[in-house]
Amino acid sequence: MSGAVTPAVDAGGAREVQARLVAELDASWRDAPGLRGWLTTTDHKRIGRRYAATAFFFFLCGGVEAALMRLQLSRPENGFIGPDLYDRLFTTHGTTMMFLFAVPMMTAIGLYFVPLMVGARNVAYPRLNAFGYYTFLIGGLLLYVALFAGNGPADGWFSYVPLAGRDFSPDKGADVWSQTVTFTEIAGLIAAVEIIVTVFKCRAPGMSLARMPLFVWAMLVTSFMILFAMPWVATASMFLAMDRLINTHLFDPSGGGDALLWQHLFWFFGHPEVYIIFIPGLGMVSQIVGTFSRREVFGYPAIVLSMIATGILGFGLWVHHMFATGLPQMGASFFTAASAMITIPTGVQFFCWIATLWSGRPRLAVPLLFVLGFVATFLIGGLTGVMIASVPFDRQVHDTFFIVAHLHYVLIGGALFPLFGALHYWWPKLTGRLLDERLGRWQFWLFFIGVNVTFFPMHLLGLHGMPRRVYTYLAGTGWGGLNLLASIGAVTIAASVVVFLVAMWQSRRASAVAGSNPWDADSLEWATRSPPPYNFALVPVVTSRADSGPSPPANHPW
Amino acid sequence: MSAREPAWMDVSTLTTTTFGHRDLGWWGTLGFVVIEGMTLFICAMSYFYLRRNFALWPPGHTQLPGLTAPAIQCALMLLSWWPVRLADKAARQLDLAALRRWMIVMTLFGFAFCLLRWFEFQALHTRWDSDAYGSIVWLTLIFHTTLLVFEAGETATLTAMLHARPSERLFSDASDNALYWYFMTGVWIALAAMVYLVPLLRGVP
Repeated sequence: MSGAVTPAVDAGGAREVQARLVAELDASWRDAPGLRGWLTTTDHKRIGRRYAATAFFFFLCGGVEAALMRLQLSRPENGFIGPDLYDRLFTTHGTTMMFLFAVPMMTAIGLYFVPLMVGARNVAYPRLNAFGYYTFLIGGLLLYVALFAGNGPADGWFSYVPLAGRDFSPDKGADVWSQTVTFTEIAGLIAAVEIIVTVFKCRAPGMSLARMPLFVWAMLVTSFMILFAMPWVATASMFLAMDRLINTHLFDPSGGGDALLWQHLFWFFGHPEVYIIFIPGLGMVSQIVGTFSRREVFGYPAIVLSMIATGILGFGLWVHHMFATGLPQMGASFFTAASAMITIPTGVQFFCWIATLWSGRPRLAVPLLFVLGFVATFLIGGLTGVMIASVPFDRQVHDTFFIVAHLHYVLIGGALFPLFGALHYWWPKLTGRLLDERLGRWQFWLFFIGVNVTFFPMHLLGLHGMPRRVYTYLAGTGWGGLNLLASIGAVTIAASVVVFLVAMWQSRRASAVAGSNPWDADSLEWATRSPPPYNFALVPVVTSRADSGPSPPANHPW
Repeated sequence: MSAREPAWMDVSTLTTTTFGHRDLGWWGTLGFVVIEGMTLFICAMSYFYLRRNFALWPPGHTQLPGLTAPAIQCALMLLSWWPVRLADKAARQLDLAALRRWMIVMTLFGFAFCLLRWFEFQALHTRWDSDAYGSIVWLTLIFHTTLLVFEAGETATLTAMLHARPSERLFSDASDNALYWYFMTGVWIALAAMVYLVPLLRGVP
């Protein structure tokens, strides 16, 4: 950078220059009018919002599917849903939550906030960004059009062969699944490249890597993980489609293929996927903890290194999903050790957040409540993760409801709690209005109670031997009571989501106008208006890690 | 929290055309290289994974692959690095006449690669649906062929644009195109060794 650094201007002449620049920027960055402009926008904020809204819609769809399954399982020998529809529901639920909600939602938040937080006006490749969104949308619509046309996938979200092969799934469901995955993974890869290049090449002058907000670090690590993980499932899903459509034999033992090859390819993506989903959550938690503790986050370098370590170690654990396939003892032991090791960087981050809260002046607003909910829930998920990293225990509970409980504690704890906290935290920047605090507290408590009432009993059901993916069970098994309790919990979660929808709707008109920095936060996204027009009229110069400065006045071009 | 007003910077004097790692397009190309490189790496991993299932590789009834077409292809790819290097040099020197000339040569190489690929498929001496061996070698070739076709098309388009409406931006695009070319040809030489030479070790899985 060879440009001159000039202090913020207060002289009248310079203000005129600023006003002219603002007008020119406004004209340059404005979308074309009408429907064409709406469809062809390349503004990262509009695309980010669109991504988030679409992903949230899919979350509601996945939630409805979950509710239907809980209704079916609420009592033994229930005839509400038959086995075929139940198979399609749990497959679509898992596929939706993993491929159409969790990853896209996190990338949506990243695509919206990373450019703002590094002081850029847009992502590195705005048109590619728009293309990525439409690719994601097509993938999602494909799944749901097929479901409503009676051809939804029914082989589980990891679509194991030989079940997903032509012999056992002769309809089009597995083909739909593989195409949905290919489309959504291409979108995810595009978003990852966008974020990596934006972070490396579009940072404002003075914003060194060591000054980047922790959420930006989290998105950077996540994007690298996407870059190296998603090609596995994208390629594997194309292999699957080829086996089904043009008679290749990659996974077909009768032609020398190997069903376990699918599991390796899938889980080499599938396990990092878990970290791809919750590392952005770690970044969100760090932002919220810092702001609401009213101090800089304790141990910034330790948190960054822990995220990087988690990202690297995350690629060395995939085989722990395959303990039941009869692996050599030495291999299983290695992956047990690696699975236990992943707790170290996560533990470091937990202690850094606790130290921040301990030494700060915490303000227990709704975003921080969700962070505390994250700590409790994710901790339980992490502990059961250590349990199932042990081969004998894993073999005992493999494919039981214990695994269902574990994965929901990890994913809801690691992703949904931070996400809801982040939505409350950044809602003012997204919309210019605050979400209602009272409704937020209702939402939090309903969600926290609902999650624990739904999923904790599933640990016990798993230990009692209830297998996952069964559409009903006999009354004599004694699983009815705990299943009913889990179903009541699911209703509570649904109530919490309804409260959130009401809060979002209410904020359109009734809520307080937020101003540019309602939380007195210190990262750069708070230094521009809410919602931001074209991010920053002038290229900001960053001189420290906490550099948003005071809230700018209303007529300030930032 | 900082109590001072943020500073701003005048960047209007910065150059608009850059090359290599200073150029956003170069980073995007590198992103494609990583993603597509991973895809081909996965093909290679699958190839060796499936090979363990066979006592003979290729399976006993399958003829060994031919070597003529792949050898010519590899030699041609190595030869193409010469015009690519000159095109990259011309782009960095903003020498439009030289760049146009070498891009035409690259386009011809690109189409020649696609034509030779047809004969490389023939040289496999197996079908995609015969067995797992046939499946993985066919899919490896198909995946790489998408790169060949894409690159030939992009080079031809870039060449046409350099003749029809040249702009400064196209110089860095041509330079990025050279980076992708090196990847596409380099990775094939490694994959060709796997697809056409490993079967010569028949019986040693």
